[in-house]
Amino acid sequence: MPSLLELQRNFSTATLFGDSAALAALPIVGGDLDASARIGVYRNNVLGNYRKVLAAAFPVVRRLVGGAFFDAAAAHFVRAHPSTRGDVNRYGGDFAVFLAGYPPARELAYLPDVARLEWAIDQAAIAADAAPLDLQALASVAPDALGDLCFLVHPAARLIGSPFPVLRIWQVNQADRSGDEPVDLGEGADTLLVSRGASGVAIERIARGDHAFLAALDASLTLGNAADRAAAADPDFDLGVALRRHVANHAIVAFHTPSRTNRTGAQ
Amino acid sequence: MPTMTSLPLSVGIGLRAPHVAQVRGARPPCGWLEVHSENYFVDGGPALAALDAIRAYYPISLHGVGMSLGSAAALDAGHLARLKRLAARIEPAAVSEHLCWSRIDGRHLNDLLPLPFTAEALALVCEHVEQVQDALARPLLVENVSAYLRFANDAMAEWEFVAAVARRTGCKLLFDVNNVYVNAVNHGFDPLDYLAAIPAEAVAEIHLAGFDARGACLIDTHGARVAPPVWDLYRATIERFGPRPTLIEWDTDIPALEVLLDEAAHARQIMEARHAVAA
Repeated sequence: MPSLLELQRNFSTATLFGDSAALAALPIVGGDLDASARIGVYRNNVLGNYRKVLAAAFPVVRRLVGGAFFDAAAAHFVRAHPSTRGDVNRYGGDFAVFLAGYPPARELAYLPDVARLEWAIDQAAIAADAAPLDLQALASVAPDALGDLCFLVHPAARLIGSPFPVLRIWQVNQADRSGDEPVDLGEGADTLLVSRGASGVAIERIARGDHAFLAALDASLTLGNAADRAAAADPDFDLGVALRRHVANHAIVAFHTPSRTNRTGAQ
Repeated sequence: MPTMTSLPLSVGIGLRAPHVAQVRGARPPCGWLEVHSENYFVDGGPALAALDAIRAYYPISLHGVGMSLGSAAALDAGHLARLKRLAARIEPAAVSEHLCWSRIDGRHLNDLLPLPFTAEALALVCEHVEQVQDALARPLLVENVSAYLRFANDAMAEWEFVAAVARRTGCKLLFDVNNVYVNAVNHGFDPLDYLAAIPAEAVAEIHLAGFDARGACLIDTHGARVAPPVWDLYRATIERFGPRPTLIEWDTDIPALEVLLDEAAHARQIMEARHAVAA
């Protein structure tokens, strides 16, 4: 008889992959149902559960491709990127990467970016809370020292950049829309900020400079270096305006003086 | 509400996302609430804030679906740490897990998978139960699961395995009446034999739920009202163990909250008919 480890390996392989050698190695009592049908019950439960989890996190992707296509993609995804945690709240982070390399979805070049946006929305809802930035403390910093500060981006904030108009695609495919409104893919690129406020998760289109600025702060660059990055991405970038805007909307929640090694802005 | 280390002797319901706002706002009369621990393995946000608010009004039971007590591999230390952090925050009246496995070689199937009832599996489950109890510094409630297959290398009956886990580790049992009924039908045993083998003093909670009988075997879907034979077995269960904190569980095709409260009222009638229930 197999050890518990062998039994669980074979059970897992037979259930997820339909592996016939693994199934044959399992000491399953048959009866009215044979071993294959019994493992089939578990396969249906396991795959059905992941389909539900992924459909809940990626409703727009599902609407764009249809239920049957989505379920097939989900089944492939589960096998290519098995869950590693006991809480499915965090399952699905690789779905965008998977879709980018999934041959049946090759025609839909924007689909992975829609998946990235939906994952950002999903994860923003369960990220840590953070108190607003202490404006008094910031006001007490000497003006010539501001550029050397590092700022913390809200744990729920997510930045999405795409060459496609993903926000429009996302908006016209909400459950309360017909889904038939045309979107011109030539509308151009999107730079988005996903954040969580008192009324829930919100998506906001932000300027390229703001996007580069927040991304640089999130990568622990100093304010001065982040402003340089932003100006390089967008000549219209205005540091004072951007800082006030993103402190006010809680995208930036804290600041600190960095250790010396961070100060060069090298990543 | 004072911190409770055991559930009140009354009927509770499983609190799921579609009912959170209604429960938080209307605070319907209900003995206690049970949530899936993993749904709150989050860093922050509105779901956790809602549970923080609700726990001021109801005793909370944390019911885990992902610890994988029966894995041949070691317990997932990160998962255990997340449960410990949540329990410290919520101060639940009970913490429970399932007598099953779901994780092997770092891969998680996120389902309640059946164990062979062998000496090897028993020793391993007991080791893991003790590890969780040590980490949480409280007794764990361990729940029997539905199964759609049996292994040829079983060395004992399911009820002997369950009773042995409780005896060896001092853990409490979450006795799921529906799961016993589903297994009795699927595997052909008398559920009263199961009841007779379980040490009454170990049973700290009872679960009731609905199953799906449309396939070739009964499936524990938690997607329907409690079936009449399961109500009968519930009567026999509290006759045998005495009244115990009882939960109505519903996880798929979740109906209006009123349906769950109606099922809870039915359970309470049965409890009261047999025993005086503490207010």
